[in-house]
Amino acid sequence: MENKLKINLLNLSFITIKLLVTFLLISLIILLLGGSPLEVMESIIYGAFGKPQKIVKTLLIWAPIALASLALLITFSAGLWNIGIEGQIIAGSVGATIIARSALGESIASPYIQIFIGLIFGGLWGLLCGFLRVKFNVHEIFGGLGLDFVASGLIVYLIIGPWKRAGIASTSGTDIFPDASWLPTLGKYNFQIIPLILVIASFIIIFILIKYTNLGLRLRATGINPSSTSRYKINSSLYFYYAFAIAGALAGIAGVVQAAGFHHKLVPAISGGYGFLSILIVLASSRNPVITMILSFFFASMIAGGSQLQLRLDLHSSMISIILSSIVLIWLVMRSPYLNNMFNKITSRLNLEK
Amino acid sequence: MEIKFKNITKSFGNILANKDINFSISSGKIHALLGENGAGKSTLVKILSGHYRADDGEIIVGEEKLELGSTKDSIKNGIGILAQDPLDFSNLNVLESFIVGSKNTNPFINIKGIKKNILEQFKKYKINVNPEDQIRDLSVGERQQVELIRLLFNGTKIIILDEPTNGFSLEQKQLVFEVLKSLNKVGFIIILVSHKLDEVLDLCQEATILKRGEIVSTVQLPCPSDQIIDLMFDSKFSAKANNKKENSKNSNLGSILLNFSKKPKSIQYYDQDINFPCGKTTGVIGLQGSGADQFIRDCFSGKINITIKNENSDNFIPEKYFYYTPSDRLEKGLFNELKIYEHVAISRFSDSQIIDWKKVEKKSTQLIDDFNIKGEKNTMASELSGGNQQKLMLALIPEEIGLLLMEQPTRGLDVQSASFIWRKIKTRSNSDYGSIFSTTDIEEVWAYSDYIMCFSGNSITHFSDKSEINKNEIPYLISGVNSNGK
Repeated sequence: MENKLKINLLNLSFITIKLLVTFLLISLIILLLGGSPLEVMESIIYGAFGKPQKIVKTLLIWAPIALASLALLITFSAGLWNIGIEGQIIAGSVGATIIARSALGESIASPYIQIFIGLIFGGLWGLLCGFLRVKFNVHEIFGGLGLDFVASGLIVYLIIGPWKRAGIASTSGTDIFPDASWLPTLGKYNFQIIPLILVIASFIIIFILIKYTNLGLRLRATGINPSSTSRYKINSSLYFYYAFAIAGALAGIAGVVQAAGFHHKLVPAISGGYGFLSILIVLASSRNPVITMILSFFFASMIAGGSQLQLRLDLHSSMISIILSSIVLIWLVMRSPYLNNMFNKITSRLNLEK
Repeated sequence: MEIKFKNITKSFGNILANKDINFSISSGKIHALLGENGAGKSTLVKILSGHYRADDGEIIVGEEKLELGSTKDSIKNGIGILAQDPLDFSNLNVLESFIVGSKNTNPFINIKGIKKNILEQFKKYKINVNPEDQIRDLSVGERQQVELIRLLFNGTKIIILDEPTNGFSLEQKQLVFEVLKSLNKVGFIIILVSHKLDEVLDLCQEATILKRGEIVSTVQLPCPSDQIIDLMFDSKFSAKANNKKENSKNSNLGSILLNFSKKPKSIQYYDQDINFPCGKTTGVIGLQGSGADQFIRDCFSGKINITIKNENSDNFIPEKYFYYTPSDRLEKGLFNELKIYEHVAISRFSDSQIIDWKKVEKKSTQLIDDFNIKGEKNTMASELSGGNQQKLMLALIPEEIGLLLMEQPTRGLDVQSASFIWRKIKTRSNSDYGSIFSTTDIEEVWAYSDYIMCFSGNSITHFSDKSEINKNEIPYLISGVNSNGK
């Protein structure tokens, strides 16, 4: 028992060391970019949580990132690299825009219809990637990347073509959605409860799916070794479709939040690059659902806070993405088998000494 | 030259695979590592070859200390392993695999020269493989042979054979043994990991026996095989197979009918149908690559029509009741990163969408106990030894009546595990629709089959009740010497 405690303590101190090293290296990068690490961090924290309306905004940024990360948990479980997630987010936002621009856009039910249609659009866009993989043996990385390009092309076409603003065709976006098509807000800080509910509900569903259902277990089994599945009467193609449909649907909802909750219109960069960011988040959290949620919240706060950098410290706001990607990179190095081996050696020695 | 193992210790999760291993191996004597499945033989040689990193201890090769856990350093020290499951590049062809593994750093490769060299070697050792063949298309046995030649080609001085001979025909085995003996005379260190005593007695001069991860003793050979068996196993073990004829409870179900009308391309099958009574076991024997394994796979994938025939009807067996165990246990039979209880959930609790983990864990503990699997419910499949992986595959088969299709169910297993597995198969096979298994071992097919099918060169050379065939005919039927069986 005492030994176990010792190992847990050691484990904890090991993680602390890792975090500390990550922190130091990030400070170094900020210094190299010409900023002061403490100022930058203070400014990020203030930017994310300094005032109630800032917290509201941080939560709104968090929702699509969390949804996309949950989507990727499913595809990664099935051993799939869902690079097509960006396209799936875009598909969801296009679905939302169709509803917002239709007669339904004036109805109070509009946000909910948008969510439903966005879910369908995203799911179908995901299935398309699965279809290419299963039927034509196109690897999902290439298929997904291709579909991302198609989606970004499509959205630009829609914005400057059929959905252009009256009189001008500009890539700055479509007309603002009618008021009824905005996700409803609460209180004087315009707090949006729906994205938060969507995130929590999706998290519970995905968590149960992965931990307690046959579907989740079979997705994982398919991901680990598709050639063993036939023995267990598992149709691996079917599970690839399931994974892409579920992931696409979640990404589609993220797209709706972006369109109807954040921008209130369709813009070319509607996905905000959150799909690719989520890939990093899920990789860095070793596919653990809880850590994924925490990490996605951390990243969302960085993004929300990062927009302050330019205003307060006169640093370019792109600095935040440099910091974010450096964190992931450093963290992945920290998790390398080499370092883990070293750690295991120390703990096993402790074990043997008993 | 000499290899010294000093205090080597290695554990996988909760399983201690090697504990304080201390011994040395010198050139001049072919050294055997003996032990039942899970005794730690494979782990030990994989530490030597650098595939695993020992938790503790050191290995000294000649004068130098080996860098543990580095295959690069092991190769540099001339250590080469011929593994139980071939560790080759399945996506290359034979020639490319030779080039990739070679130490030659010259960027301009003399492909023609290498090819000629390979062909000469293949001819010398009577290996019938084309250098242009894709490795994934070769049988396990052929891959093993190619690997051995590749090791020699790369200047390996210390050859580890990890139960490789399963894939060799008798003639090839003798050839390989001759080669190994002569290599040993000129200073190579040769380590044979095996559980086949006859093989060990034939080839080796010294044997180290392991049990539950620890060294029991090192003995000089030849010595009486009873003595070695006593050292290897806990209880006195009699190798005699239980071969009493039991009456099948299920013969009234009708008979299993195999119909080849779909004519799978890979194999030439009989023109007429094959049938045998329900509840019986058909053993399919052939050398590695003969098509016997392919036959089992074709049965499973539905390329061969299988029906149950009785007086009034002709019924298909629902796909659900085909129970298949492949010979590549980790590649096609199990999920290496899933734990035992997760396998149990997938195969035994697939009816409900929500998994009741308590029930699953209870069932897992019971199965682990029942099948004597050396592992715990949260041991990953990849952490189990080959024999325990096989036991797990059998344990996962539902109790319901079905048709067992088994590819080499005892490949690479020691006598005790093999007999245990057969006991398990036999307890259920009488009440099953039937069972069909493939093997390369004549003794095995003779001991456990009611009906015998022989394969040679991808075609069926014989099928009959065991009583209608003489055991001595089988070697001819599977080697293709006399394909019409006289």
